[in-house]
Amino acid sequence: MSNLSAVEPPDNPARSNETGHQDHNLLELRGIRAAYERIDVLFGVDLVVPEASVVALLGPNGAGKTTTLRVAAGLHVPSAGDVLIAGRRVNGAKPEELARHGLCMIPEGRGIFPNLTVRENLRMMTYVGRSLAEIEEIAYSRFPRLAERRTQTAGTLSGGEQQMLAMARGMATEPALLILDELSMGLAPIIVAELYEMVAQVARSGVSILVVEQFASTVLGVADYAAIMVHGRIERAGRPDELAADLSKAYLGG
Amino acid sequence: MIEGQERVQQFKQEIAEMRVRDPATGRDRMWLRVGVVLMIAGLIVAGLAYPMSHGTTNPLSQNDALALGLGGLTGAVVGSALFVRYSVAGFLRFWLARLSYEQQAQTDRLIESLKK
Ligand SMILES: Nc1ncnc2c1ncn2[C@@H]1O[C@H](COP(=O)(O)OP(=O)(O)OP(=O)(O)O)[C@@H](O)[C@H]1O
Ligand SMILES: [Mg+2]
Repeated sequence: MSNLSAVEPPDNPARSNETGHQDHNLLELRGIRAAYERIDVLFGVDLVVPEASVVALLGPNGAGKTTTLRVAAGLHVPSAGDVLIAGRRVNGAKPEELARHGLCMIPEGRGIFPNLTVRENLRMMTYVGRSLAEIEEIAYSRFPRLAERRTQTAGTLSGGEQQMLAMARGMATEPALLILDELSMGLAPIIVAELYEMVAQVARSGVSILVVEQFASTVLGVADYAAIMVHGRIERAGRPDELAADLSKAYLGG
Repeated sequence: MIEGQERVQQFKQEIAEMRVRDPATGRDRMWLRVGVVLMIAGLIVAGLAYPMSHGTTNPLSQNDALALGLGGLTGAVVGSALFVRYSVAGFLRFWLARLSYEQQAQTDRLIESLKK
């Protein structure tokens, strides 16, 4: 798989052979096939997220990006292929268990409770075994804007603030692997840039990140590696600068 | 970032020790299916034995039909036993988990009230 090796750290000459090397990949998908009601949407996806790196998964509508993330988080059972986390095959692991150990997925549409206040949304995360005070500390230190709005209902926050709240909730679990789906959905470019500044900050603290975007622009600035998905397959993978040229082709169906 | 390193190390450790749903539960489901199939097949075989016996005056054939009917009955009984065993097992496990959860919650509440 030439595609696969392209996503691996260039300073590691070992190809993805059987042993040893796997430990450097926090997440690895091998030949993933997936279907909804027998309609296939993924046709053998290979994707690698090396430790302490940011990987961007790009592609047009309906390419299967969200499905790929759901498979990685244990929310969708693949019909074939393997999901490896830290070198261990975890097919069939319960999503809540993966989440408890430190895999955090922030879904498309953010997954916050619009009728609850910022504070109440954060309080929901106390199930991870931290007090509300600790969670608020984590959240407000990363996203000071939320502190000013702690009593506002989440539904009335701006789109960018809602996305911050979603990320704050995710950070409360102290994830080791963060999976983000279309962070930029419906947001102005300036806000998106601001959010990705925070993503970069999170990445610097050692969290590995897999992020899906439909449009490349901002995400390529923070990604270490990128992959382009079209029609349920990874078309190209590599360094962001290597891919920039291929991107327009992928969207135009070339 | 040493702190982040530690977190990742811990994550790897926990993932390595995590209990992934083992194929055993798949085996449970297989036995459940075997039970259902046996039950139905046994009934059909037993049912077919009657016309077989009724349609002949040859005592040898009738004995065969008798044996077949008994075999069907045995299959159905064994199938039912398998079915009950594996469907109840799943239910009991769930019930036990719930019980122990409630026990835990009860204890927590007790400790909470004692603290005051
Ligand atoms: N719950 C579902 N039931 C049936 N089909 C689904 C379901 N979810 C997704 N699909 C189909 O699977 C394909 C891939 O969907 P997916 O959501 O993974 O794409 P995507 O790349 O995330 O797209 P987008 O950029 O629009 O979010 C699409 O054709 C979609 O219609
Ligand atoms: Mg999607």
